Amino acid sequence: MPTGGRKPTGAGLSEVLVGLLEAGVDFILVGGLAAVIQGAPVTTMDVDIVHSQSPENIARLLAFLKSVEAVHRRFDDKLIELKEEDLSGKGHVLLTTGIGAIDVLAVIEGGRSYEDLLEHTVDIDFRGHTLRVLDLKTLIELKKTSTDPKDKQRLLVLRETLRQLEEKYGRGEDKEDSEDE
Amino acid sequence: MSKETKVADESGVDKGLVAMFLKMSPEERLRANDDAFRTILELRDAYRRQKADGRRPE
Repeated sequence: MPTGGRKPTGAGLSEVLVGLLEAGVDFILVGGLAAVIQGAPVTTMDVDIVHSQSPENIARLLAFLKSVEAVHRRFDDKLIELKEEDLSGKGHVLLTTGIGAIDVLAVIEGGRSYEDLLEHTVDIDFRGHTLRVLDLKTLIELKKTSTDPKDKQRLLVLRETLRQLEEKYGRGEDKEDSEDE
Repeated sequence: MSKETKVADESGVDKGLVAMFLKMSPEERLRANDDAFRTILELRDAYRRQKADGRRPE
């Protein structure tokens, strides 16, 4: 039986993504793994997603999370199971599952929801599915406002990644609007 | 990697590492993170075991 403080198996975060995609969940990949996919050499230990909060999608997401024994991630071993209202609220739901940690976010910086972020995504073909990923330029914009020292260090890596991408492919839609350092 | 061959700017970002990662496909990058993830878990486990062994009375 899972506990809130349990450690993940060595399954790998790709399996979490595959599970979400196979379950037909509408989500946008954000955070460290979104940066990894777009070429930033960083390492992350969880999957961060912003999900569509339509009732049908919440039902699909809840069914998937229950299938991988998701429970709230905690310091102690207290077991708090996931409920539907956790996914329909406006907060961040930090979970541990049998295949890896996943953060389910209703909104991210600036109160931006799934619908708000859709126009800032890139589609990646991934194991026969289309994975929607928050683009590098928007990830950088979000990190700019963060006060987390880890984010500040990561911001430098993201900027260098975007710079090299622009050098290689030209300054397209991924161009960072302002150089306000 | 030696300090002589590492290409980093004043911010400390390893530009060579960025260039290397950009040559990979998204799938390869995910696999690299998964490998790192598994390695970190394995090393943390080993460290935890070593600490626990050190506390055991002889």
